[in-house]
Amino acid sequence: MFGKLLATLRKDILLLWRDRAGLLLLFVMPAVLVVIITLVQNNVYKLMGETSARIILVDQDRDELGRLLTEKLSGMELVTTIDGARVTRAEAVGLVAGGDYQACIIISEGTTAKFNAEVEAGVNASLHEEVGKDGGGAVPELEILFDPTVMGGFRSSMRNGVAMVLLEYEVGAKIKALGKLLPEFIESELKKSAGNFAEYVKVPPLSINISSEPVLTVRTGSASLDGLAIIPTPTQHNVPAWALFGMFFIVVPMAGSLIRERQEETLTRLRSMPVSYAVILTGKVAAFVLVCFAQFTLIFLIGRFLLPFMGLEPFQLGTEWPAVVSVVIAASLGAAGYGILLGTVCRTYEQASMFGSISVVGASAIGGVMVPVYAMPEIMQKISVVSPIGWGLEAFLDIFVRGGGVNAVSGDLALLLAFALVNIFGAWLIFARRTP
Amino acid sequence: MTGNSNDRSIALQASGLIKFYQGNDRPALDGFNVEISEGCIFGLLGPNGAGKTTAISIMSALLKATEGMVKIFNLDIRDRTAEIKDMIGLVPQEIALYRQLSGRENLHYFGRLYGLRGRALSDRVEECLDFVGLLPKAEQRVEAYSGGMKRRVNLAVGILHRPKLLFLDEPTVGIDAQSRDMILARLIDLNKQGTTMVYTTHYMEEAERLCSDVAIMDGGQVLIQGSPTELIKNGGHADLQEMFFTLTGRTLRD
Repeated sequence: MFGKLLATLRKDILLLWRDRAGLLLLFVMPAVLVVIITLVQNNVYKLMGETSARIILVDQDRDELGRLLTEKLSGMELVTTIDGARVTRAEAVGLVAGGDYQACIIISEGTTAKFNAEVEAGVNASLHEEVGKDGGGAVPELEILFDPTVMGGFRSSMRNGVAMVLLEYEVGAKIKALGKLLPEFIESELKKSAGNFAEYVKVPPLSINISSEPVLTVRTGSASLDGLAIIPTPTQHNVPAWALFGMFFIVVPMAGSLIRERQEETLTRLRSMPVSYAVILTGKVAAFVLVCFAQFTLIFLIGRFLLPFMGLEPFQLGTEWPAVVSVVIAASLGAAGYGILLGTVCRTYEQASMFGSISVVGASAIGGVMVPVYAMPEIMQKISVVSPIGWGLEAFLDIFVRGGGVNAVSGDLALLLAFALVNIFGAWLIFARRTP
Repeated sequence: MTGNSNDRSIALQASGLIKFYQGNDRPALDGFNVEISEGCIFGLLGPNGAGKTTAISIMSALLKATEGMVKIFNLDIRDRTAEIKDMIGLVPQEIALYRQLSGRENLHYFGRLYGLRGRALSDRVEECLDFVGLLPKAEQRVEAYSGGMKRRVNLAVGILHRPKLLFLDEPTVGIDAQSRDMILARLIDLNKQGTTMVYTTHYMEEAERLCSDVAIMDGGQVLIQGSPTELIKNGGHADLQEMFFTLTGRTLRD
């Protein structure tokens, strides 16, 4: 029996290998889609501020503020020179408007000096109960200009980040000014009431050194199942998503193969032979499961090696191999089961091709392949739970993003296997009914 | 005409076969009876819709009869299906082959399903390819074959496992005279080697040349059965074709 199964597996692999259109559909289509969609989504992530942003710092001031911003905004790609030359305001505006950079920070000449003068004047005024009286000059400004396509979340996080740096600098400057002005103020007040002893009143200068280290820190991270912190980049989402999309497209050649066998009476010959049709079908399913593994491997290799070459994050497979293999097998069986049902129900290859493609694209869309489920309207999120591709994707994201293992994906595995069994059982009922 | 049915054991016995297809009031077979002796080539003749393919399908265990019994080499087809499938071969009316595979690849695959393996399989594949004259073109894909070549591979697959009983459903339809002549010659060779055959055809001269026994059927029933020579002589007909028209009429069966 095993030899007959292997012979069928070999025959179906050979037939698929010689079906150029089928190969294009199964391998080239998902490979092209994963590259294009990941590139497109990566740009969207940038606009949303989910990936490292590129910022130009135009430091005309060349003083304390510029140094501090460079130091504190180290999480961003902060550029001050291009080709060795300092970026001018006009150049920076042009580069940001052209979409090469997401924002630019412009510190005008003399800003730090004006800032310090303003701080000192403010502290002085408060000591002399003249709050509200400023330093007399215009309040210094720090400009942030954004790429018009940058989304709101990124704008506010950028603005808040810069404001925090300025606040920190302002507090430090005020303490410094207080350390200088407070002893002078106390000495002057004491002298007023000291009468003849005024000349003996001396208040030493106050040296206040406050650590800039934060007393309370905020730590952020991903709520992963095993403590792994894999960032949900477009690559981590798209590689498994489009691999699944391609894997489910085996329904078209699989259904086509069954229809052809029926139409060309190869099925009649097979049924006249001393071999159970279950063996033939198992061999066929095994062939398509192998094809799914090949598809997954191809998309994985693209994610691992080609996407980084194009400036994207490399795909991280993690260490949960058993879980990955289990999901690939379960998803392949689900797709094969659906292919068998489709091949049994449809009378012609054209029917199977059209219905198969539409249903797989539909199931992919509602399953979160194109747009993540959490970004869908509530009604679509509810509908998405019926998509087998959604179950597979959820299982993959559990592994690749949330760091889960076989236990974490067992529910989705069960759903995919049940889907396969229901489809095969349905196909068997229809086949038995149609066979006189 | 080949073979001799006298004093031979029964290879196939079908009695009282009735077959109703779902949604059809008229039976496709209506009390079909035949007895085929071992070693003969049995011609099953009839116009379109007479029930030939249904009869072959039931006798080769592809279909279940609504009523009736089939025994092959004295084994009941309902109880001993697996054993019977080892003993029978089928050459379907359609070219039941994988067109993207070569002739040799097709034979290897089907040979494996018949349980052949290793050297025995390879040798038998070569033998069968040689038998149907396709050894030089064995590596070509079936889709590149001519109609006659496809029919010859179709036959080769049917005889891979050396069946004792071979069903041939119009195996020469739509091919050139040369290929047809070769197939008929090969069938005679096979018969001489001991293979019993059940053969359907619309070509009466083919049946006359090949068959030791014929049955003419219509409306799902066998109208007459016997040796073609005796049937023609007893009926006072000029040939098998004239007898066929006399029994089944000249009305078109579209």
